[in-house]
Amino acid sequence: MAQENQQPASIHPAVAFVRDRFPSEVIESSEIRGEATLVVKPESIVPVCLALRDEPSLRMDMLSSITAVDWPERLPRFDVVYHLLSLPTGHNVRLKVRVGDDETPHPEVPSAILVWPAANWFEREVWDLFGITFTGHPNMRRIELPDDWVGHPLRKDYPLTGFSLPEPQWGGQVPAPAPGEPKTGRRPLRVIRPDSTRK
Amino acid sequence: MTMSMGGPRSLDVDESEQLDERTRRDAMTINMGPQHPSTHGVLRLILTLDGETILKAEPEVGYLHTGIEKTAESKSYFKALVVTDRMDYLAPLANNLGYSLAVERLLDIEVPEKAIFARVALAELQRIASHLVWLASSALDLGAQSVFLYCFREREIILDIFELCSGVRMMTSYIMPGGLQADLPPGFDTQVRAFLKLFPDRLREYHGLLTNNQLWIDRTRGVSVLSAEDAVAFGCTGGTLRGSGIAYDVRKVYPYSGYERFDFDVPVGTNGDVYDRYLVRMLEMDQSLRIIQQALDGMPEGRWAVDDPKVVAPPKYEISSNMESLIHHFKLYTEGYRVPAGETYLRTESPKGELGFYLVSDGGPHPYRMHVRAPSFANLQALPKMIEGSQLADVVAAIGSIDIVLGEVDR
Repeated sequence: MAQENQQPASIHPAVAFVRDRFPSEVIESSEIRGEATLVVKPESIVPVCLALRDEPSLRMDMLSSITAVDWPERLPRFDVVYHLLSLPTGHNVRLKVRVGDDETPHPEVPSAILVWPAANWFEREVWDLFGITFTGHPNMRRIELPDDWVGHPLRKDYPLTGFSLPEPQWGGQVPAPAPGEPKTGRRPLRVIRPDSTRK
Repeated sequence: MTMSMGGPRSLDVDESEQLDERTRRDAMTINMGPQHPSTHGVLRLILTLDGETILKAEPEVGYLHTGIEKTAESKSYFKALVVTDRMDYLAPLANNLGYSLAVERLLDIEVPEKAIFARVALAELQRIASHLVWLASSALDLGAQSVFLYCFREREIILDIFELCSGVRMMTSYIMPGGLQADLPPGFDTQVRAFLKLFPDRLREYHGLLTNNQLWIDRTRGVSVLSAEDAVAFGCTGGTLRGSGIAYDVRKVYPYSGYERFDFDVPVGTNGDVYDRYLVRMLEMDQSLRIIQQALDGMPEGRWAVDDPKVVAPPKYEISSNMESLIHHFKLYTEGYRVPAGETYLRTESPKGELGFYLVSDGGPHPYRMHVRAPSFANLQALPKMIEGSQLADVVAAIGSIDIVLGEVDR
């Protein structure tokens, strides 16, 4: 992580508010390049979001995005990142929760869909690409990938170049199509040996 | 599509959960898309209809998912620029700009003045080009074919300018972290000024074709209304949000790339219908012209990219004479530059709305994570809210009015 130049003098109003309102729920906070980040406990994300939305001095009424970052070597493996924005006051803040360990392949985070309807697709996307479930989400289906896709591509252990295909068998040997499977247009390869064309 | 059963009925469909009780035997589920010509790419809508009234709409996306965020993780920062072109392929320079600014913020570098002005001019030209495609296709969807042809005629002039700069019409990658790929070409100023001279007349022509056209007004005014509260709750941005009466423009609220130095207004609608969204974007083109004019007038001389061989490659001709340049070239194009660890979320106002780049760096030469907050993705979510309860023919108007690009939705 970068060097965190904490400046307690000019603390971000959203950070100050959450620290004041939920003193035991904030794990850490920082402000780098004017971007405030708050890390809160996963179970308290919905109350924090709700408080940030309804607090008259902040009014974080717009959810810009929800995404996640995979840190496979770290113990809470995933960061789920929320970017909030306030249209009336112009404040913005980044919320994070850290979830996931070796026992739970699909860690759970409470869904923010009741706070902002915009969370619907963002959370579906995080489920699709990271395999993080959002409890309370009414429609936790994949959004970008087909419904029968296996795996969650944006995890760091997901291979980039796809799957290992069987080695092609040269020399006229093409695997026969399974019964019922349509024939491919590929012809069997013929091996032309020099001695077959010349005496 | 044949729907002969029953006429339109006034059904209260606020609660989509209650649909099952209300669904009668003549309700019908149809697919619209993914190959429907007016879905602007490959959007699929699952529509439940009662006659021609839409009871429920469910957008299905993902047909154009190409894993751009995953691809970017395996490329150096320099090369990941190229995949950003392919997201919103109607406004590649706007994507380049957002990405470059995010990388520059992590690198903590300032680009020269000339690059700032050139970027603003190019981004606004791109906004006009993107809006022209939106205007062309959404008017075509509602049957105005001549508008389509005129808009593409003017868009071609802008694409010629991009080709002059970068050699490529669309996927330019011309704006890059550190500045521009190359200096602005000699004819740039003349060509853009010629366009500035020509375009206001053409814009008046489009207004003449549509704005007071009774057919256009009938098809758009009061159609697929999105209230301001809903627009905010669904995270809509850009013309879709401003059409509903909220003056949120990233260029004004969180100025980037020197936009605070330019004088322009933000057009805002009142009713949140298709007509207001149409007017907002039409007036935005006027404002873009103003910005381009100011950018050209204020364009300073000087370098077009930072003078830092760690980020921007030194001139090619130095390779044969300068050992250091050779090393920098080799390092840049093999490994790439390393970016200090950290994270940033950078908002820009792309033609479609708020385009956010969330970049996480672990100190290496590849982005550890690049998340793109695509404006079309959030805007599209509000589509069911707009069209449920309205007529099937208005779906086409609604899709056109939110200006989606599926390459950006699916990424």
